[in-house]
Amino acid sequence: MQKIAFFLGKGGVGKTTLSAATAYYLSKREKRVLIVSLDPAHNLGDVYGKKLCNERTPIVEHLDGIEIDLQEWITRYLNESRDEIRATYHYNTTLNLDSYINILKYTPGTEEYAVLWAIEHVVKKYRKEYDQIIFDTPPTALTLRFLAMPTISMLWVKELSEMREQILKKRQTILSLNPEAHIIKGATDKTQDRVYEKLSGIKERLSWLHRLFKNESYLTVIINPDALSLAEAMRIRHELEKLDVPIDSVCFNKAPMDGSCGDEVKQSFHNFPIFTAVWIPEGLRSIEDLEKVQIPELAEDIEAKIHSLN
Amino acid sequence: MGNRTNFKRLWEGFWSTIVQIQRDKATGVLEFELNEMENLFVVLLLGSFIGLPSPPAAMAMELLPYLEEELRIMVSRADFAQDPLGSIMGILNVD
Repeated sequence: MQKIAFFLGKGGVGKTTLSAATAYYLSKREKRVLIVSLDPAHNLGDVYGKKLCNERTPIVEHLDGIEIDLQEWITRYLNESRDEIRATYHYNTTLNLDSYINILKYTPGTEEYAVLWAIEHVVKKYRKEYDQIIFDTPPTALTLRFLAMPTISMLWVKELSEMREQILKKRQTILSLNPEAHIIKGATDKTQDRVYEKLSGIKERLSWLHRLFKNESYLTVIINPDALSLAEAMRIRHELEKLDVPIDSVCFNKAPMDGSCGDEVKQSFHNFPIFTAVWIPEGLRSIEDLEKVQIPELAEDIEAKIHSLN
Repeated sequence: MGNRTNFKRLWEGFWSTIVQIQRDKATGVLEFELNEMENLFVVLLLGSFIGLPSPPAAMAMELLPYLEEELRIMVSRADFAQDPLGSIMGILNVD
């Protein structure tokens, strides 16, 4: 089982810096690490001083990086649907579907789906090659929406599947009473019904992602020494608890040089390990500066969780 | 002999037509219900297009390729909405 780590938090708290520093620290200890940025406004490449793209790019020894191009994932996803529509609907081959599908890029929810399928793709493709896959997430709103997507969508899939089963049963009943009933045009059996099959496929993918977030991922929330980032971190914790996706730790970034963190943080997250990452006044100038962030405790906690799962 | 065979064939044809009419009558209400369920399935799935809460559009897109017949039913139901009482009376054979 591969352990996946997600760095969450309010915009600007240092998710990218800490995820980059953790990945760098682990790679220096000869762990094979893949770091993936899901933020549409990527700056992971800037932190490493290396141009990253939608394909895996080596950064240093044992460390590779990807900046997910969400637009490409949305296009890829919609194109798959377009091709299936073309193959299945036999009367509209003359229609130019592209113009209709282009507008779907802007449908609410499509971006979250694209993030989910990108995570699924990365984890399934690379989990065997790496000791650790680290995800740098977008700001809270989008992150919570994509983490919630499997749970919410599964409710829909469950209801729609049950309804589809009733439709198929009704078709069977009609067919047994009246074999020549003109209404029966579709399948009557679950194993032959493409809609039911597709719903089961979606259900399987969403359950897999929910399990990944719930059982196989390490979630750390980054906080700064300010009330806003703390309030947002608490909201993240509560929202994720509702989804049955627990967080594993809290990381207090930009801490004073003595490494202490505020009493408020300690009180609010007394049940969780709290790690600190010190403030670097001169900023990050090169990849080596990432070592100054000093996050060995966080990196070791992530590693320990990997071993506990293996 | 020939007359008897012709009569038998005629009677069988007549009888199977009667049986089929009765079967159609018996399943008419069930077929109506099935149509409604298939219509509701598509309305639930594609509700966002008419302002109803619905699953993420991307999920609807995945299922869309296999819902040709259900979409046809949904469009025909839109006509039905103009005169629902008349249609129900028709199903129940009330003139």
